[in-house]
Amino acid sequence: MITLRGLTKRFGAATAVDDLTVEIGPGQVTGFLGPNGAGKSTTMRMVLGLDRPTAGQALVNGRPYRELRYPLHEVGALLDATGVHPARSGHAHLRAMARSNGIPARRVDEVLDLVGLDARAADKPGRALSLGMGQRLGIAGALLGDPPVLLLDEPVNGLDPDGVRWIRRFTRGLADEGRTVLISSHLMSEMQQTADRVVVLGRGRLVADAPLAELIATRPASSVRVRGPEPAGLAALQARLATDGATVTPDEDGLTVTGVTAGRVGDLAYELGVRLHELTPGAASLEEAFLELTAGSVEYAAGPTGGETR
Amino acid sequence: MTALTTVTPTRPASRPAPTSGPFAGAVAAEWTKLWSVRSTWWTLLAAVLTMTATAGQLAIYAVNANTDDDPSVNPGILPVGEVVAGALELTQYVVLAIGLFAITSEYATGTIRTTLRCTPSRGRVLAAKAVVVGVVTFLVGLLVGAVGAAVARPVLGEWGRVPLGGTVADVVGSAAYLALVGVLALGLAAALRGAVLTLTVLFALLMIVPLSLQEPGITVLTRIADAFPGVAGNHFLAGDTEPYPAAVGLLVLAGWAAAALALGRWALRRRDA
Repeated sequence: MITLRGLTKRFGAATAVDDLTVEIGPGQVTGFLGPNGAGKSTTMRMVLGLDRPTAGQALVNGRPYRELRYPLHEVGALLDATGVHPARSGHAHLRAMARSNGIPARRVDEVLDLVGLDARAADKPGRALSLGMGQRLGIAGALLGDPPVLLLDEPVNGLDPDGVRWIRRFTRGLADEGRTVLISSHLMSEMQQTADRVVVLGRGRLVADAPLAELIATRPASSVRVRGPEPAGLAALQARLATDGATVTPDEDGLTVTGVTAGRVGDLAYELGVRLHELTPGAASLEEAFLELTAGSVEYAAGPTGGETR
Repeated sequence: MTALTTVTPTRPASRPAPTSGPFAGAVAAEWTKLWSVRSTWWTLLAAVLTMTATAGQLAIYAVNANTDDDPSVNPGILPVGEVVAGALELTQYVVLAIGLFAITSEYATGTIRTTLRCTPSRGRVLAAKAVVVGVVTFLVGLLVGAVGAAVARPVLGEWGRVPLGGTVADVVGSAAYLALVGVLALGLAAALRGAVLTLTVLFALLMIVPLSLQEPGITVLTRIADAFPGVAGNHFLAGDTEPYPAAVGLLVLAGWAAAALALGRWALRRRDA
């Protein structure tokens, strides 16, 4: 259980996280979404006691991280940078972590096994680890204390497809065991594959907090793309669709139709004898939902004044 | 708040209880980290070589001064401990690197975030580092002290003497000096973060500022210089009775180390990692 209450972080005049109140519960994978710079990493760092909140609280199992005596038993984390010294072997890195929290040395070998790092890879110095091995080592560190809460910051960044699949299966397994799993990502498509619930940030503010299915279902009806060789035919189709209650946006290339199914558009075209070259139903995706949700905040970020957050 | 603190983790605690207390664990972790990078071993080698070269050089100077034509500066027969203490002037900068890098390397590589995630209490982390740095620099001090004595003795020849008790006391004193300077370096590094900046400040505190103060030979300035850590340490090593007893010199140096740790703890608590 991760509890954020009015969590705020300002760096000088810039507000990185703005009055964030959200609760992240166990037994599911929660996707923590937002464009780059939305405040995801800062939020995670505050949960881990690395950054001090300007205002509000970040609690893990009801307590601030800095008060935990054996934090690795309560929270496991993979941060953007895996935090391995370039000259220290992965094995020694994990051994030091384990010792700090009174975790027996054999657990180091167990977690290395869990993430699929063999002895040869674990003996390499940090600088010789590939990105994928580094991520696995970071996850091994997160699992050392067998914690009920896991925070993974951009875990699939830079991984090959095998690694990505592995992370997906792995995080799903961890959530199914009843753990709280929070995964940040700026890749919506990735979250669509992994998350049960999403918390979306835009410019440090909470934009959405909902089950994934709900978020996709509640967005405006998806559109149908229509193209054909006869402008006159398309115009007739457009008129017919309008009487059917559909919203039609013509452009030089064809029509974009919302409010009716692709099947209905096809039937009407057949009735009118209009030749079509394309009839594509647009799938409602989290990607689109996300873009709509954060559009305002992103546009705003690019604006010249940025006065409103001051 | 009350309602939330009673929230229990949803997973039963199937894992074994921690095998050590958080402070003992933090010390063990620091120990493991120190010895799992090769640079620590290079630092030890460099400390031994620096001591060997400097003690040898100082011993040669002493012999020359006793045997040249100028009778005005004849140090006479020297205890080897005096040569060792003199050689610390340079050797200390190698040894204090252990304290310095214990924290600056963590900031430089980002491992500080791992460290603080494992041990979120800033005071506990710094105390654990101070224990490890103090113990290690003390042991290194014993080693280089013994090396310095072993090098100085044959070079001094008839101009040297090795009173057993006195030499042991000098070597242990050197080790204590190095341990306190090591902890001073650690505390300053925690406050300043960067290796270059910290080393510059240490140079200033241990050498440049007190030397500048002593240079004009004005009593007030010299007294101020006596309060600096390096000068205080030298009064302790030389067994001086003026301007204050040797033990006070040790206390002044220890005070500097403690103040640096307090400053470092304050900075660690305040700053984002």
